[in-house]
Amino acid sequence: MKPSSKKVTEIITPDAYPQMMSKPNAARAAQTLRSPQTAEKAQVAMDAQIPAMRAAILRYVEELEKAQGDMALVFEKAHEIRGFAETAGLITTGRIAEILCRYMDDMERIKGPLDATLVALNVSAIGRAARTEDSDAAMGDVVAAELAALVARRLAEAG
Amino acid sequence: MPDAGFETLKALIVEDNSHMRSLLRALLNSIGIKEIAEATNGQAALILLRERKSDLVLTDLAMKPMDGLEFTRHVRNDEHSPNPFVPIIMITGHTEKYRVEAARDAGVTEFLAKPITARNLFARIAEIVERPRAFVRCDSYFGPDRRRHQLDDYAGPWRRKDDFQQEAVVR
Repeated sequence: MKPSSKKVTEIITPDAYPQMMSKPNAARAAQTLRSPQTAEKAQVAMDAQIPAMRAAILRYVEELEKAQGDMALVFEKAHEIRGFAETAGLITTGRIAEILCRYMDDMERIKGPLDATLVALNVSAIGRAARTEDSDAAMGDVVAAELAALVARRLAEAG
Repeated sequence: MPDAGFETLKALIVEDNSHMRSLLRALLNSIGIKEIAEATNGQAALILLRERKSDLVLTDLAMKPMDGLEFTRHVRNDEHSPNPFVPIIMITGHTEKYRVEAARDAGVTEFLAKPITARNLFARIAEIVERPRAFVRCDSYFGPDRRRHQLDDYAGPWRRKDDFQQEAVVR
């Protein structure tokens, strides 16, 4: 049941402000965005980006490995890798980078101490996964699962 | 992809990673958006927004010296903002709940977690063109309506004009 006293919030409906496109165009555009032809064209565009992205990820991995000890830099580099490793087809690399970022972010939030050994393990696993993912994905998956369990345990202890 | 309506749109990409900018540009190009400006942080993006019309903004979250949250707040709230209603899609690897909430409260239109896929990006754009959201203005917020769903059994809190049966003045 809505109350009956006055408040001061203003609602501006979509008709009252400029839209990206007119209604008839919007319906057509949405249909286009969901079409298989659009998906196919976009995939071609993305595939063309993959070699450059993979090369960039390997550079970030090297920077990550050199950053050990500087936790802020480790987080920054791991975050970059997490950002587009999966888009570049490096699924396990992205997954381990995600585990590391979550761990560092959660520890920062609860003001817990970072386990340097655990961070180093993750960094090492990211490097290995990025360099061998195409040939040894199964091992990467096992390592990622183990690291996720370790991180969960550390977070539970800290929290 | 002729006549889809994208050819005349102007987009702005705000992202400090050149590879991600390149990927986003390629995806927008693939649907016909050709006029795309790029900025590496929020501060540069604000200057570009003033110089050139933008119909759609894609922004990263973590950038220096101005991040995507502060950029969004400026776009929405600055007295001389060129387009406080422009759709803003925040694309970031920072997907923790508190960050998503911070983005929502800054006034982003859509949130997209990295790694991005064409399908997810296009779904967000389709949502914006097909179901544009009302904007809400109150003392502490200006931006797209943060209540995505209408709940029949919603018990409050009641804070809006249209929450009050006698005072429902909607522009």
